[in-house]
Amino acid sequence: MKKNILSALLLLISVGLQAQEKGTLLIRNGTVLTITNGIKENSDVLIKDGKIQKIGTGLKAPSGADVIDAKGMYVMPGIIDAHSHIALSAINEATSPVTAEVSTGDAVNPLDIAIYRALAGGVTLSHAMHGSANAIGGQCETIKHRYGTVDPEELKMKGAPRTIKFALGENPTRVHGSGNGILPRTRMGVEEVFRNSFSEANEYMAGWNEYNAKKNQKGFKGVAPKYDLRLETLADILKGNIIIHCHSYRADEIYMLMQVCKDYGIKRLVFQHVNEGFKVAPELAEFGAMASVFSDWWAYKFEVYYSTAYNATILTENNVVTSINSDSRELIRHLYHEAAKTQKYGSLPNDKALSLITINPAKQLGIDDRVGSLEEGKEGDVAIFKNHPLSIYAVPMYTIVDGIVEFDRENDPADMRIYPNPEEQIDVTIAVSDSEYDRCMQDTEFLFNH
Amino acid sequence: MGAVLIEEGVIKSVGKSINIPANAKIIEADSMYIYAGFIDGLSHIGLPKPKEKAIDRSQIKDPANPPNDLSGIQPERLASAMLGPKDKSVSDMRKIGFTTAQAVPHGLMLPGQGTLILLSGETPDQMVYRKETSMYAQLEGAPRRLYPNTVIGVMAKYRELYRQAVQSKDYLKKYNANPAGMVRPEQNFIEEAFYPVIEKKTPVTFRAESVLDIQRALTLKSDLGFDLMLGEVKQGWDVIDKIKASNAKVFLSLDLPEIKEEKQDSEKDEVSASKTESDLEKERLEKRKKEIIDLHYQQASTFKDKGLKFGFSTLEVKPKDIKKNLSKLLEYGMTESDLIAALTTHPAELLGLSTVMGTIDPGKMANLVVTDKPYFDEKSNIRYVIVDGNVQSYEVKKPKKKGTGKDAMPKGKWSYSADTPNGTVTGEIIITGEPDDYSGTISNSQTGQTTDLTEVSVGGGSLSLSFPFDIGGNNIQIQITAEIDGNTFEGNMSVGQLGSFEVEGQSELKK
Repeated sequence: MKKNILSALLLLISVGLQAQEKGTLLIRNGTVLTITNGIKENSDVLIKDGKIQKIGTGLKAPSGADVIDAKGMYVMPGIIDAHSHIALSAINEATSPVTAEVSTGDAVNPLDIAIYRALAGGVTLSHAMHGSANAIGGQCETIKHRYGTVDPEELKMKGAPRTIKFALGENPTRVHGSGNGILPRTRMGVEEVFRNSFSEANEYMAGWNEYNAKKNQKGFKGVAPKYDLRLETLADILKGNIIIHCHSYRADEIYMLMQVCKDYGIKRLVFQHVNEGFKVAPELAEFGAMASVFSDWWAYKFEVYYSTAYNATILTENNVVTSINSDSRELIRHLYHEAAKTQKYGSLPNDKALSLITINPAKQLGIDDRVGSLEEGKEGDVAIFKNHPLSIYAVPMYTIVDGIVEFDRENDPADMRIYPNPEEQIDVTIAVSDSEYDRCMQDTEFLFNH
Repeated sequence: MGAVLIEEGVIKSVGKSINIPANAKIIEADSMYIYAGFIDGLSHIGLPKPKEKAIDRSQIKDPANPPNDLSGIQPERLASAMLGPKDKSVSDMRKIGFTTAQAVPHGLMLPGQGTLILLSGETPDQMVYRKETSMYAQLEGAPRRLYPNTVIGVMAKYRELYRQAVQSKDYLKKYNANPAGMVRPEQNFIEEAFYPVIEKKTPVTFRAESVLDIQRALTLKSDLGFDLMLGEVKQGWDVIDKIKASNAKVFLSLDLPEIKEEKQDSEKDEVSASKTESDLEKERLEKRKKEIIDLHYQQASTFKDKGLKFGFSTLEVKPKDIKKNLSKLLEYGMTESDLIAALTTHPAELLGLSTVMGTIDPGKMANLVVTDKPYFDEKSNIRYVIVDGNVQSYEVKKPKKKGTGKDAMPKGKWSYSADTPNGTVTGEIIITGEPDDYSGTISNSQTGQTTDLTEVSVGGGSLSLSFPFDIGGNNIQIQITAEIDGNTFEGNMSVGQLGSFEVEGQSELKK
């Protein structure tokens, strides 16, 4: 049943390029937490060719299909992390306050063992984001955790809306203002960067519109605006084709970005971290902006002191679509536990707590019509737990992406690396931990040496 | 058995009954073997690595838009204009059988245009066979804090530059057709360097070592549509079909990972029955490491089995390791004729040279390698390398006897360079004193400091030095062990837990 890495690689060698793998699988007799349609006891979930075909009882497995006996277990939609930096070879192009032209899609690294570790926490999909060094950072990639391939394209969730990282506050002002002595040096400057950029993009679009209108006229001798990938991308934001995901902490700045977006007609806006989101929850709801927060992580820098573990609950109760994210290779392994904290701090009911790591992040990524709940017709991304996922005793047992079992607690080999390093020193005694720090600021550490 | 007649650098005839002109110079190759000269698909031959200069950041007004020599956007540079015929790499590669190579400049994302050279000649003009072969590209970012620094910045910059070049090329075409009333197009050497690529007159050669870099180059090719050559490929075995589908041409790296034979602790072997869990874990990890190394060794034969023609590239391999590594490929599925094809006919075909190079046939250029035993025989020696009709002969070196030699004399001034994760470190080592009582100092280009050596010892031809080094407040002992060979030495520098790096040096004594 388990897709063995080695045989998958052999398959790649023998069959070569193939479409993204889709599986057929019957999950039997589980407690099915659909998220959007209540709980179904002792029910089956049939996934056919990667899609959920039927949820019911007494379903028959098609011939040749794998079967998982989920008796006594909990079957929920695959967990979605709306803020992650796993599976990326590069995170921050921290060399300019605006880098809308870059895309983490170019840096997707299917060999990253963190993908498998995320699967071991029931996470089937993550938002592989650019870092927060720049006011306008790079475009991000929504990836499915199809572990075992070496092809970055196979991880990409085809058809997912484009997204881009923005950042407020200390990070962009420190990297560019303090680091290089350029705009933005202050929080005012960050706003200025946004407004300048959008105005420039408007001029760029106007220039092209004018050129395109005239270019076929007889005797036209004009020059087209010079192609600019950065402005092309900013123009796509203005046209509504890209969702902004903005790194944010302070309420005043969160409010500022909503004003900027209103001025430029931008509607698709998700705030990331949003530690002071509880102060502007009604305003966020009114704008239609969403919020992706930590459960209880703060005080790691000055602007993140005014925080509360009730943030997710307050936002939820104010009708802000809210998710809980990891931003970490370690936290991503127990997002179900992070969601459970909202029951200690805010007494959210089970369905609302689980929505924070399933359907809500799916809405924030614009993919809630495809994933985020167990519904017929949706993609076969499933996490199966021993004990309720919000229980402290929860243990992820199987994680399934597109009907393929990508994590199997009982049967997976211990070493799941795809390409071990041929030059590694195996008896190294001092290992550098790669899981403890915030990769959001990767490649900018040199700025903090003074 | 037969003869090859060469006139004016061209093979006139090949066979048993050849009329040999009276004025011909004759090379007796009785019981010797003659091969077509080897062709190196991608190299830095003849192009010495420029010294690393410190960046004067006060001169950079906008880090997001640094000067082109710092961002590495220099596609207008020509390797053919930078050649050094006397560079050691030319003679080093020729003496192992290479007669032709594509040589590309050192640099970052767009180092310049590659050139096709013959490995002989006194002047750059004499070396160059074809001035421009391809636009050389790497996924190599600018130094930190300068745009584009990471792979995402580099990929975005490629797309923008390419599309801007397409745009300016179109405009130039219109302007040239009828300039009256049109704004004069500005001269832009960078965009112009892309024009032959856009017209598909020359390909882009991407250095693509890892399985990810290979696929990133393929992504750019499919986004932009240029012809692609992949060079220095080290991890391509899982993406052969993807490469095939793209029609990219391939040069596999001759740099191979090494299996270091572990010294077995004999005492441990005796108690092997009671292996601890950590011993078993180590064994499992070693096994997986060996598996991945084997995949590197098998890469060439895997490509062959998939029917994809390839040549070799030598950007990273040291000339002295090439024959050893080729022998490794023989152990892992390649035959001698496969290897010869990958060194001669296949690269000739991939580089569009088949009419003049790759085989020993009348009409082809006289690029030949003559050996006393079959090339891949461990004991074979190259006796002659003929490039463009010019003959280089080589004496058979008598094997050095180990242990009987006199101790080397390390006294004096040496310059050294070491490849470390922080870049190349250079400096001077000065050794004073007498045998059994040497002392000295070592300087470091990165720290600008000179440190006293705490140990200098010589045994036979090998030199061992150690000295303390301060890393972030921790004092680490660095050890250099090297073999002295006349005026040069080569060896390793081991830096505590950080690993071991290659180091080489040269005597600075007055010659």
